[in-house]
Amino acid sequence: MTYVIGLDVGGTFTDAVAADSSGALYTAKTPSTPPDFACGFENALDLLASQAGLTTGELLARTSHVAHGTTAALNALVTGDVATVGFLTTRGHGDAITIMNVEGRYLGLSPHEAQDTLRTRKPDPLVARSLRCEVTERIDRDGRVVVPLDEDEVRAHLREMVAQGVSALAVSLLWSFRNQAHELRIRELAREEAPDLYVTLSSELTPRIREFARAATTIMNAQVGPTLRAYLDPLERRLRDRGLAGPLLVMQGSGGTVSARKAPEVAITTVGSVLTGGVVGAARLAEQLGHPNVVSTDVGGTTFLVGLIVDGRPVSTAGTVLNQHPINTPALRVHAIGSGGGAIAAVDAGGNLRVGPNSAGARPGPACYGQGGLSPTVTDADLVVGILNPDFFLGGRQPLSRELAEKALLEQVGRPLGLDAEGAAAAVFAVQNGQTGDLVRKVVVEAGHDPRDFVVYAFGGAGPMHSFAYAAELGARRLVVPLGPTAGVFSAYGLAASGVTVSAELSDPAPLPLDPARVQANFDALTARVRTALADQELDFTSVVLRREVDARYGPQISEVTTPVADGPFDEAAVAAVGDAFEAQYARQFGAGTGYREAGIQVITYRVHGVGTLPVDPALPTPPPAAVKVEEARKGSRPVFLDVTRGWADTAVYDYRALGPGHVIAGPAVVEVPTTTVVIPADAEGHVDRLGNLAIHLP
Amino acid sequence: MPAAFPDRFASRPIPIEELRRAISPKLRLHTVDQAAIDAIDPLTYEVVRHRIWSITDEMGDTLKRMSGSTSVTEVNDFDFTIGDELGQEVQVGLFNTGLVAAMDLAIYWTLLHRGENPGIAEGDMFLCNDPWVGGGLHQNDVAVLAPIFHDGRLFGWSTAICHVADLGGSAPGSFSPSATDIFSEAVPTPPIKIVRGGEIQDDVVDAYLRRSRVPEMVGLDLRAKIGANRLAVERLLTLVGRYGPDLVKAVMKRMMDDAERRLRAKLAALPDGAWHAIGHQEQAGLGDRGIYKIELRMTKIGDHLTFDFTGTDPQQGMINCPYAGMRAGVMFALLPVLAGDIPWAAGGLMRCFDLVSEEGTINNASFPAAVAKAPVGPAWATANLVAECLGKMLDTMVESRPRVQSVCAGTYDGCLLAGVDAEGRPFIGGLADTMASGYGAQTDADGVDTAGLFVIPMGRAPDVEMTELTQPLLYLWRREEADTGGAGRRRGGLSGSVCVIGHGTRGSMTAMFTGSGKAASMSPGLAGGYPGGTQLDLVVHDSGARRALAAGRIPGSVEELGGEHYLVQAHDEVPVHPDSAVVLRWGAGGGYGDPLLREPAEVARDVADGKVSPEAARTLYAVVLDEMGAADPAATDAARRRARVRRRESATAPVTTAEPVLAVAGERRPLDDNLRLAPDGEGGSVVVCAHCDHPLGRWGENYLAPLPRRTGSPGEAGPTAWADPADYVDVPIEFRQFYCPGCYTALLTQVVPAAQPILLDRAPV
Repeated sequence: MTYVIGLDVGGTFTDAVAADSSGALYTAKTPSTPPDFACGFENALDLLASQAGLTTGELLARTSHVAHGTTAALNALVTGDVATVGFLTTRGHGDAITIMNVEGRYLGLSPHEAQDTLRTRKPDPLVARSLRCEVTERIDRDGRVVVPLDEDEVRAHLREMVAQGVSALAVSLLWSFRNQAHELRIRELAREEAPDLYVTLSSELTPRIREFARAATTIMNAQVGPTLRAYLDPLERRLRDRGLAGPLLVMQGSGGTVSARKAPEVAITTVGSVLTGGVVGAARLAEQLGHPNVVSTDVGGTTFLVGLIVDGRPVSTAGTVLNQHPINTPALRVHAIGSGGGAIAAVDAGGNLRVGPNSAGARPGPACYGQGGLSPTVTDADLVVGILNPDFFLGGRQPLSRELAEKALLEQVGRPLGLDAEGAAAAVFAVQNGQTGDLVRKVVVEAGHDPRDFVVYAFGGAGPMHSFAYAAELGARRLVVPLGPTAGVFSAYGLAASGVTVSAELSDPAPLPLDPARVQANFDALTARVRTALADQELDFTSVVLRREVDARYGPQISEVTTPVADGPFDEAAVAAVGDAFEAQYARQFGAGTGYREAGIQVITYRVHGVGTLPVDPALPTPPPAAVKVEEARKGSRPVFLDVTRGWADTAVYDYRALGPGHVIAGPAVVEVPTTTVVIPADAEGHVDRLGNLAIHLP
Repeated sequence: MPAAFPDRFASRPIPIEELRRAISPKLRLHTVDQAAIDAIDPLTYEVVRHRIWSITDEMGDTLKRMSGSTSVTEVNDFDFTIGDELGQEVQVGLFNTGLVAAMDLAIYWTLLHRGENPGIAEGDMFLCNDPWVGGGLHQNDVAVLAPIFHDGRLFGWSTAICHVADLGGSAPGSFSPSATDIFSEAVPTPPIKIVRGGEIQDDVVDAYLRRSRVPEMVGLDLRAKIGANRLAVERLLTLVGRYGPDLVKAVMKRMMDDAERRLRAKLAALPDGAWHAIGHQEQAGLGDRGIYKIELRMTKIGDHLTFDFTGTDPQQGMINCPYAGMRAGVMFALLPVLAGDIPWAAGGLMRCFDLVSEEGTINNASFPAAVAKAPVGPAWATANLVAECLGKMLDTMVESRPRVQSVCAGTYDGCLLAGVDAEGRPFIGGLADTMASGYGAQTDADGVDTAGLFVIPMGRAPDVEMTELTQPLLYLWRREEADTGGAGRRRGGLSGSVCVIGHGTRGSMTAMFTGSGKAASMSPGLAGGYPGGTQLDLVVHDSGARRALAAGRIPGSVEELGGEHYLVQAHDEVPVHPDSAVVLRWGAGGGYGDPLLREPAEVARDVADGKVSPEAARTLYAVVLDEMGAADPAATDAARRRARVRRRESATAPVTTAEPVLAVAGERRPLDDNLRLAPDGEGGSVVVCAHCDHPLGRWGENYLAPLPRRTGSPGEAGPTAWADPADYVDVPIEFRQFYCPGCYTALLTQVVPAAQPILLDRAPV
């Protein structure tokens, strides 16, 4: 028997899933154990092993690999507990990270925050001035050396940096992605001068045009590389000591994985690691349910997260933003707004109702928790409109006070707007649904897709109460609330179930028509890199699939459109087909007739993705069929307000624990699950599918 | 009687009912009455309002992703609006905010002049780049206006606008420093139907693109704007389909009413008053050595503002803007300063002020004045004055002080480059690095360094690699420049500098420059803060740059370039030879408060960060640093006491026969960092020093006039005043600093023409 293990270490919980080659699946959820997260990691392994009837040593010895999602890099950046980094760049350009192309003043802010210009500030520079060093060297846009590298100067800077206590070095030179020679040489010099220095080269980490984002990414990588190494090295040693034979793989924000030994070199790519597991898990569920296009939504306490799966693949983005600094490495596109269950509703000075982004968090939490919170939250509104059962929240573990919720809603929202407590709750509920609906629609439509082709998946404790509304807003016909045995550890399942993905890209901006040999050479180089990276994972793949794409645009447009490139060798016709594919993609995204070939087409970035499939392919387990009639799962009914046009309506309430595959529930209905509450709106039907999920057919 | 031909195009805001009556009856309008607006339930209002916000958001993303112009893709010089059936703006974008002040004017005009012939119908879009009509501030701002119809009635408007690279005229970029009228600039085009019934009209598109030197780029921009409008029309109609036209319209009207109400409430809470400021434009065109003034008297009574520009110089050369530019100047400053925390339903905000101005002046120019410089010249200069007066108004209340900001970089440093690349292809480009200018200091924070332009809140500067990719250039440096931020208790934001040489060019390039603020800074400080650094552009001929590179060195300063310096004038056209280098250093933000009051530790930190030079720390801030670079408290104290003594000893006080004023005990009301209002015991008020309570003058009289002051050369404003004003203008320019006669705190620090009178900058009404 061979096992794969997915293990997701979050701030609060460590989730784990083990699957074996016979199709058995084991899950575990234990508290995380900061600061020594490895402890919780091992607790989770012990739980899995005991379920499988093995010792942990036996389990590990039979495990082909462990896929690990970690917040180590993200936490280090967010808390600022990072290595002291020296930054080396081209003479005359050290201020790139303080000028920040101006946009550092507003990167990552909501429009509402950005509009208040007088309150916008740049973040502190990633590297203090005394540790920013400029070196004499210059390469031009064609990759030609204009000024050779002054090696003596580099050595002098390195010595000075080490004297100042630098433990990591970030090197980002102008046009280094066109000609790596100077960056490579600097690393050699660093090895001579300071062998222990952790070094990141921009031309290896993120070989893309635009020096500001490249430098910022390189620096942040150097900041967290040593941290990640300090976390992973001992963890891997302990797993080895306990018998792990296969590799420990770390999940990247892109959905790819990297071996624990290599991960510290590209530490920044593991930021977003924990978000990714959920989207990858949703992709696996979608595969089993036969849904090619899915909007994956997750409503937690503070945030509302949206990811997209198109044609069975999670949609990715070229970069993200953290603390107003750009991170220029590919990541699965996860959009977030502060519209979780704890989002606070307030009426501003002008009498406008706002929901979020501030959150009541876990403490004091929503007013209805009775922990001293006075601000009304989305959860308070959910309670007052009748969706939540005050005696069965989190399976009854958290009693809720309707009185406190009403009081907060009335005082903070109702009075200023001229509404009673119930009206205020309905308003908060509607604004929350509008906001989440807007985001979901934006995510789908901006990617150039028709929302009617999508199924909405709703994860998270607060998601299934609102998902009917944002799914309807989107125009989707189907909504799935995953509720099977893995529901609570879904991202760990995603980690265990994902194949191994690696990607490589290079920037070579040039206009069409391109020399086919140049295109061929670029893809050949990338293919070789992807194959090497897959080989580095030390796994036996049953198959490897490669996928190619380019980012292209008209003339000097700022943003590119990612365009798939067919397999096969390149001739003039194949290159022309790339142009046609770009135009088709562009028209899909922006509307027919908006393309403009006269402006010329430029290919900017080339990219190859490789997916290695593993022998163990964990499928989701199927619960036994329903033992009783659906009526027996009905607990009763209560008045619920779901929609402005319908108002209060008597609504049936069901207990999920009594439901089973094959049951059908007519809306309006509320299904109480120990971990969440699901709303089935009027004129809709809820079907319990073969995996135990609630699949809702919207009108 | 029909208006004279040029007057026909001068669009103005007109009373909304008058506009409604004047529109052709062929055009059926959708509207709702006040009862419908009052009847919206708060719940629906919130839902629909959020949706409209999100539509404009999507328009911006679409425009930016589809455009092909650096001005849009790299610089964010564009905007877009959604309006009601009359074009009043319900929601606007966060980009070039002045365009907001022109967009509704273009729609009013289109309603009046296109309703009958050729008609306004479903699926139409109009292109407009006539700045007298509106839509933009100069001809390069090309707007596309899309009427939105529902059920055969005109429901609303969406507009998209961006700065395009070239629309012909005598000079590349459609910007001629020698223009004396609009006929040597790009052709203005009043609204013309470019999309008819949903179909792009090829004849009109060709007629439009034919004039451009870069028709492909302009053509792509045109499609971007049409695409953004299509998106807005579709989304708004989806919303109407869901909630009904009356409800959506009622929400739109109420959004404007709400914004108006909130701004009025904010104004009403402030003390009434009158403020007076003067700003300048240097050089009216190529070869000119004059300096021209824009004058503003702002009054706030109750919940209403009046901006009176009477006294502004007559239109001159090419430094003019039409009415839309003056209105844009107000909005440039009003939106961030007064409405940062109010939703930008600009149609409502614009009801809160009046403009008074004589037509034919540089910020309200008559046809056929040359106006290509409008947005970066007179409109911006207008905004500086508005920002200065608003800052002083907000400084009078503790609650509003956090929204005070000294003037941000007071002008743009424009440099267009044209030439032929190594493959023999002509190119037109420019250096947009100057977007990274400094913001003005606030009462509670330093100005943001290389923050951007306050007229484009979400503007950006391109990466060096993007400029080098698209133009045959090589940057020797791009950096922040120490000491450019105006000194003050709170320091102004720094600007930067670049040095560029041709790389892969064939023969020489031509550089066209447009700027101002070279003789005297255009970003004054407030409350004794120093003005931000001046603009300084050089073309260094016979530079050693190429030789240095060949020898393995990269020059890092003007001195290291050697060669012969040509000091670029405010408007200039300069050949850039293969061995020439172009150096730009652009304007920065003004400071706030007396620099002697700045925390010494903050000065030390600025020196360590390279934001302030050790020399400026000593001379302007009087801070003494120890060997480790930390501020020495005792030595700094002593140095600051000596600095005040020096001020006293070098100051001159006018001889006055007026009786000294006296203040009595009682409440001290704030005027700014240094000034308070105190009772005089006879029912009037006296301006006193906030630090030593020394009486300065009677409230309402010119309290500055009798104060001791120092006048000197502009170099006293800081080490970055490199050039001599006499290199640019004929009139003498001087440094002035006014002091409290009691404690010698600096109350006002300025660099102005020597002939400029001492203004009564604030007064009761």
